[in-house]
Amino acid sequence: MEEWLYIQTEVYPALLKGFWVSLELILPSAICGLVVGIMVGVLRVYGSRPVMAVANAYVAIFRGIPLVVQLFIWYFGLPYIGIYMSPFTAAVLGFSLCSGAYHSEYIRGALLSIKRGQMLAAQSLGFHKVQMIFSIILPQAIRRALPGCGNEIIYLIKYSSLAYMITCIELTGQGKILASNSFKYTEVFLMIGACYLMMTSVAALILGRLEDRLRLPGFEHHRI
Amino acid sequence: MAAPILRIENVSKRYGKKDVLKGASLDVNKGDLKILIGPSGAGKSTLLQCINFLVKPDEGRIWLDGQEVRYAHKRDLYAYRQKVGMIFQDFNLFDHLNALENVRIGMVKVRGMGKAEAGERAVMELERVGLKDHMQKYPAQLSGGQKQRVSIARALAMDPRVMLLDEPTSALDPELIGEVHAVIRDLGNNGMTMIMATHQISFASSLASEIIFMEDGRILERGTPDNIFNHAENARTREFCSKITELYGER
Repeated sequence: MEEWLYIQTEVYPALLKGFWVSLELILPSAICGLVVGIMVGVLRVYGSRPVMAVANAYVAIFRGIPLVVQLFIWYFGLPYIGIYMSPFTAAVLGFSLCSGAYHSEYIRGALLSIKRGQMLAAQSLGFHKVQMIFSIILPQAIRRALPGCGNEIIYLIKYSSLAYMITCIELTGQGKILASNSFKYTEVFLMIGACYLMMTSVAALILGRLEDRLRLPGFEHHRI
Repeated sequence: MAAPILRIENVSKRYGKKDVLKGASLDVNKGDLKILIGPSGAGKSTLLQCINFLVKPDEGRIWLDGQEVRYAHKRDLYAYRQKVGMIFQDFNLFDHLNALENVRIGMVKVRGMGKAEAGERAVMELERVGLKDHMQKYPAQLSGGQKQRVSIARALAMDPRVMLLDEPTSALDPELIGEVHAVIRDLGNNGMTMIMATHQISFASSLASEIIFMEDGRILERGTPDNIFNHAENARTREFCSKITELYGER
């Protein structure tokens, strides 16, 4: 009975609050990350040499440094050069840039898999490069990149739990506070785990639907 | 005689140390159908791709309607390509668009036409190649012959002055070749200027205004179908023509 009261009066409201913060972190980060990833992916394949080098360096850095270190740099490091951000802004920025680096790799692979003939046909109709990339190549490439990009979005949902390290108290942060007050680590974190599982499951469902919607007739997946 | 619609002068292309095209020149008059024949590796495809600069020639000049094409100027190049339709051996329809959208997209994106107007024109072009009933189908749902006809409709929708056809029926079943040939024949009868690479010499000889035999990056011999197929001067032309006749049947 006492347990139930604890859950009802303390755990539930705190976790609900944390859940909304998590969602507010994840949604913009997922969208910005995808946009950054598509842009960087395109530049890494079709950019001029210097642009390509800059884009590659971006990916090397943001994929190569642990995310928590990146967050510390955004939140604790930038004030040294006079740039101050709220914990929330720093977290969204950190997540978007990190996610974008991974997305760009899926997009790059998909862009490279599009047959040259598609480009020749577009060029022969008088398309210029940007038109060709955005109306012919990308629509096909994004379909091929979708399973990988979905993977990255699911991963983002889970690494959003690092935001509490820079004092943005989301789901995991709330859990940590609750657990250190009550010492009920197992119970609280099991509930938090279930919350993340729920979020990733819903995301997987939405991504699956999206994949079905974008599927082209004649390119259906065939079971052997 | 009227000035040629398309003039190609001394076009050459080198890949590394290999000369793929060694100074090909060609004058094409309005309504001409020039047929390029020759063994693979002769440079037929390269010549066609050089004509609309999908492959940048190392040397040579090209004029359309008396105006030299300044292909280093992007704007001129894109404008020129709109006037030169290209048909590929493997169709190259846009996989993510249905037949109607394939024909429409060039008009909308390149010529800046409204979607509705471009759509009407696309339906018209698809009707012309006999595919009105298939315009909602995606490339993967069409047969090879249908795909090639969509690609012809797509090129025609840009109102080209000249069409380049790079072995348009080489990837097709024998049974499907006829439907594509019928469309090309129809184009020719309506006065379309065309340069076509093909091995279908019976079709070629019935339609061509000139046959051009290429080998090893050079134009070896040119003349009327009767001249090339029956009275060729060059021994190599005679040899090639007799082999290809054996393969592709009676003329």
